[in-house]
Amino acid sequence: MANWDELAEALADYTVSCNTNERLRKMQRDWSRVLHFECSDSRDRFFMVVDRGEIVRTGEGHEGVPDIVVTTESETFCDMFWGDLNPVQKYLRGEIQVKGSQEDVMRLDAISYVIWPDV
Amino acid sequence: MRAADAPEESRAVVLRRSVGTATATATSAGLAFAAIDYLGVVSVATYAGGASAWLAIAIGGALVFLVSGIFSELNGLYPTAAGIRLYLGRAIGNRTALTVTFTYMTTVVLVIAADAFLIGAAVRHVLGEPPALAYLWIFVLLGIATGANLLGIRLAGGVQTVVTYTVLASTVVLSLVAILHVGGAFQQPLDLFGKGGFDGVQAIAFALFLYAAFEWVTTTAEEARRPQVITRALFIAPVLIWIAGSLFALALSHLVSAGAAHGSAYPQLLLGKAALGTVGEIWMLAVTVLTALNTFNGGFLVASRFLYAAARENNLPRPFARLNIRAVPWLAVVTLGALSAIVAAIVFATHQWLLLVAVGATIEAGIYSIAALCVLILRRRETRQRPFALAFGKPLAAFGVVLFAVLAVATGFANPKDAHQLSVLPVAVIAVLAAISAAYVRIVVPRLQAAAKARAAAGRPKRRPTRPVVSGGDIAGEAEAGEAGAGGPLPAMPLTPD
Repeated sequence: MANWDELAEALADYTVSCNTNERLRKMQRDWSRVLHFECSDSRDRFFMVVDRGEIVRTGEGHEGVPDIVVTTESETFCDMFWGDLNPVQKYLRGEIQVKGSQEDVMRLDAISYVIWPDV
Repeated sequence: MRAADAPEESRAVVLRRSVGTATATATSAGLAFAAIDYLGVVSVATYAGGASAWLAIAIGGALVFLVSGIFSELNGLYPTAAGIRLYLGRAIGNRTALTVTFTYMTTVVLVIAADAFLIGAAVRHVLGEPPALAYLWIFVLLGIATGANLLGIRLAGGVQTVVTYTVLASTVVLSLVAILHVGGAFQQPLDLFGKGGFDGVQAIAFALFLYAAFEWVTTTAEEARRPQVITRALFIAPVLIWIAGSLFALALSHLVSAGAAHGSAYPQLLLGKAALGTVGEIWMLAVTVLTALNTFNGGFLVASRFLYAAARENNLPRPFARLNIRAVPWLAVVTLGALSAIVAAIVFATHQWLLLVAVGATIEAGIYSIAALCVLILRRRETRQRPFALAFGKPLAAFGVVLFAVLAVATGFANPKDAHQLSVLPVAVIAVLAAISAAYVRIVVPRLQAAAKARAAAGRPKRRPTRPVVSGGDIAGEAEAGEAGAGGPLPAMPLTPD
């Protein structure tokens, strides 16, 4: 089980990877969303605010009303944010649960795919 | 049917934009009620005695309630767009699940192709153009649909809802006008089995096709306000379709000769013209074009995202996951558009549009039978509480397995050209599709999976820093990403085909 420090570190790296990827920024320029994340094992909760493709804020707890809610194990979150696993595979196995529109679910995966296409 | 309250309430998540019952019902009805449904009514009328097609549609609707219960239970267990993969995989194995899903997805291509062809033929007919121009209309329509999808243009939920209810209401109103305008008694409206016992069964089997794809609303489970929304939609949408389909069937049998309806690709235009002249014809043409908005919007979206996910899962070649600058899986969309155009052109050239109905009806009945089987198997394997449980689950599901298999046989051997003869053509088409899917899953998928594993082994090392050993010796950084245990309420499922 990953603790909050590990999650925060992974989230920080993910934020840099997203915000410095020009193609991703261009692709997501019409995508502004509030994302909530919930760890099914540690019960940690954190959030991410995306404004026109840029991750502008992340933090512990929940902020605002979400467009997307992602629930999985803390370890899975860490591996996902470090780009060490393919989220779609976990999603299709039912190990990652998402609440939100199909389009948003795909956009979320597209972030990982664009940054780490070989995973 | 019964619903358990506590678990559903606890799983409700508040989202900024979520789908309520009205939108989910419109989505379900809109996915089912396409232009090809008018041909579906003709197929029903072909086998039903007298003016009793409405009765077959009503009985079909009653049977669809069983389907609603089956999919409500499965959706409650797996409330995700990937639900079909999950429950099929856990019930009948991942490899068989993939084969079934690939075959199932071909119905999306068939429906898109059918709508392109039917609208092209209808527009050409109203404008009085030469038949060959229908090809042009098909390519123009599919070109627009493909282009809109590539640009990321989608119908907003509200527009989709308005379109669906407009189509259904227009069909109901025109049918009522047609019935009242002409008056007179219906000929043998209760004589469903008048042409023979098996003919009546075939009429009911074809009636199921009118409701086909209503269950795809389960792919929106993740945006539903709460799980009951999908369940309600699954039970309300068939009622709307039943009302529209039954009235249309009554009006058609009342005003248009069986021969004229059977020989036409646009019976709704014939009914419109018979009821209200040119105004009615143009009215039904507008309704027909409106159905395409839902079909092209929903069909392209569901199928292209399925192809994207399959490619990301290494079950399809990786190029199918490539995204354009608008985050659209462009190769998946272009492939769908091209396949649909080819199928539509073949249908137009061969005049085999009723074969599409027979193939679609058989695949749907087969899927319903398999879904009932999944309920039976998962009742044994998954003991966790369901938000919705089919009452008398095991006996009803067992009944569903047999019933829908029989109905699949009834349409699979129907002769689209001559109702008095049997034909192996529909079942042969499905056998070819299933054989291609099975061969692909057995031969190509393992290679794609092996190539993905090799790429991963030769690729970059894991980025996540290793962390010191903590209590219990758990070293998270050394955990294998692909071997993690189950997360959340769903047990893990092996990714590799069984």
